[in-house]
Amino acid sequence: MTAALTLDGLAVDFSGFRAVDGVSMAVEQGELRVLLGANGAGKTTLMDLISGKTRATEGKVLVQGRDVTGLREHRIARAGVGRKFQIPSVFSGLTVRQNLEVAQSKRPSVWSNLRFALGMSEKARLAEVLELIGLGAEAEREAGLLSHGQTQWLELGMLMIQDASVILLDEPTAGMTQGETAKTAEIINRLKGRHTLLVVEHDMAFVRDIAERITVLHLGRVLAEGSVAFIENHPEVKAAYLGKQGIA
Amino acid sequence: MAGLSNYRFWAYAGLAVLLLALPLVGDEFWLNRVAKYLCYGMLGAAVALTWGYAGVLNLGQGLFFGIGAYAMAMSLKLQSYTSLQQGSDTPVPDFMLWNAQPGAPTDLCCITPGSWIWLPFQWQWTGVIVAVILPAVLAGIMGRIIFGQRISGVFVSIITLALVLLVRLVVTDAQPLTNGFNGLTDLGWLTVFSHEFDPYAKGTYYLVAVALIAVLAAARILVATRAGTILQATRDSDTRALYLGYDVPAYQTFFFAVSAAIAGLAGMLYVIVSEFASPSFLELSFSITMVVWAAVGGRGSILGAAVGAILINMIEARVSETEALVEAWKAIIGILFVVTVIYLPKGLSGLAHDGMARLRARRPSFQLKEEAGQ
Repeated sequence: MTAALTLDGLAVDFSGFRAVDGVSMAVEQGELRVLLGANGAGKTTLMDLISGKTRATEGKVLVQGRDVTGLREHRIARAGVGRKFQIPSVFSGLTVRQNLEVAQSKRPSVWSNLRFALGMSEKARLAEVLELIGLGAEAEREAGLLSHGQTQWLELGMLMIQDASVILLDEPTAGMTQGETAKTAEIINRLKGRHTLLVVEHDMAFVRDIAERITVLHLGRVLAEGSVAFIENHPEVKAAYLGKQGIA
Repeated sequence: MAGLSNYRFWAYAGLAVLLLALPLVGDEFWLNRVAKYLCYGMLGAAVALTWGYAGVLNLGQGLFFGIGAYAMAMSLKLQSYTSLQQGSDTPVPDFMLWNAQPGAPTDLCCITPGSWIWLPFQWQWTGVIVAVILPAVLAGIMGRIIFGQRISGVFVSIITLALVLLVRLVVTDAQPLTNGFNGLTDLGWLTVFSHEFDPYAKGTYYLVAVALIAVLAAARILVATRAGTILQATRDSDTRALYLGYDVPAYQTFFFAVSAAIAGLAGMLYVIVSEFASPSFLELSFSITMVVWAAVGGRGSILGAAVGAILINMIEARVSETEALVEAWKAIIGILFVVTVIYLPKGLSGLAHDGMARLRARRPSFQLKEEAGQ
């Protein structure tokens, strides 16, 4: 079976500075992969390269075996890549329900959207996602009025309903309380299997909750890859990122 | 109707009934004036569509109004009896004769350099069609370039503003073709199935009123579709929309073009009612005035912006009859704008919505009925 997401020698050169320097990795169908790395290791840049925000100068990105390198952002999104940014980004003037409706639309062109009603299956799926992210009671509220945690969940819900095969999450628990983090872990665990996830995260407790395999980046290169236990005891990872004392 | 809750529907219906009933209470002179304001109402709706729903502030909406006005005026000028008395088989606008080189042939094809552009306008429907289609096509091209380059915010305003001033310069400069600063006057009447639309007849008022009602309904339905929701989504976060797989520039361009077509239609009807087209339509102050109408009425509401435009102009007409207030009017408009932006950012329609929300909160049964009706 082809991997859901394959990176092959991916690199970008910002006039001499190589933020990502020949990264190769394969994320299997339904896998949740965590990206670890110190500040400047190239985690966010790697996500920019996959989602098309930044163009790679070398290497390839394959989504479900299809080469999407160099396509424009909305084309890559249609190829099945969903992305959540570090700063939550939802449509603040629309209601929670409308946010999900926009994310749900299968047909992207203007003409095909000059219509009103949702189909029965679409309505059912929307209700299901509302429950999954725990915002059923907030469906008719304007998204701009949600709390920080709720906003993050709504954005996760939008990725769910978008039905992206590969989901990129950039620090999904940044700025969250412990309770909110726990709920986020729960939502992300439900995404596993149905979607393939690539998650950037610093909170090690959270990483232990969700991760199966971890890839550690250092100075734009892959330093190590393996299970949580393997990474936590990896001497080079300890030296480069976690400090000599190991993980807190 | 999907996406339209009940009280909104009744607000639209109420305005429609009011507009159609006005001829019962006013004389023809007054109706002619109101018809002009209804054209401005269309402009308010056009501004709300781009500014309120797409987050694109077009400071050159007058360009599309102006194109609509000039296209219609060219056709009506050739229908005018003054154009038929220039000693030629085909109609020739009187000002072309005054501007022609000595010895130039008295024919529309070549009386002044470029006068052949007028040839297709001998057919009245050329003016009608060009008035709506040309603004839409032009906006489509502008949108593709501007939004395709991911230009947004104040830069779009600067580009549109520069464009309308540029076109104004060209129009006033091309005196032999456009009559320059004087504009196009002495126009004929629009004739449909041998019915002549006398600007001071009730029929002409109805033409404009029905057109406004149709435009408002169509625009409101358009923004209630999924495409309309997606457009509002691009306004709130174009990045998010892009990463959901939407071609954001295509949505912005589509609605920009629709807004331009509405403005063109408004310009066309304005000429039918007022019997002139003038480069003052292309002045910056006119385009900015439209933005004030939409802001006061509420840019988040098609209906609100239209009503804002109509009301402000009605008040202006009343005020200008009082001599002391004629000069002060510009200041009053300025203060009105500032006060609205600070205290009523959603304008009059926002005030109405908040009032309805409060009413619903007080009467839960009302809310239930409303949801059932959606």
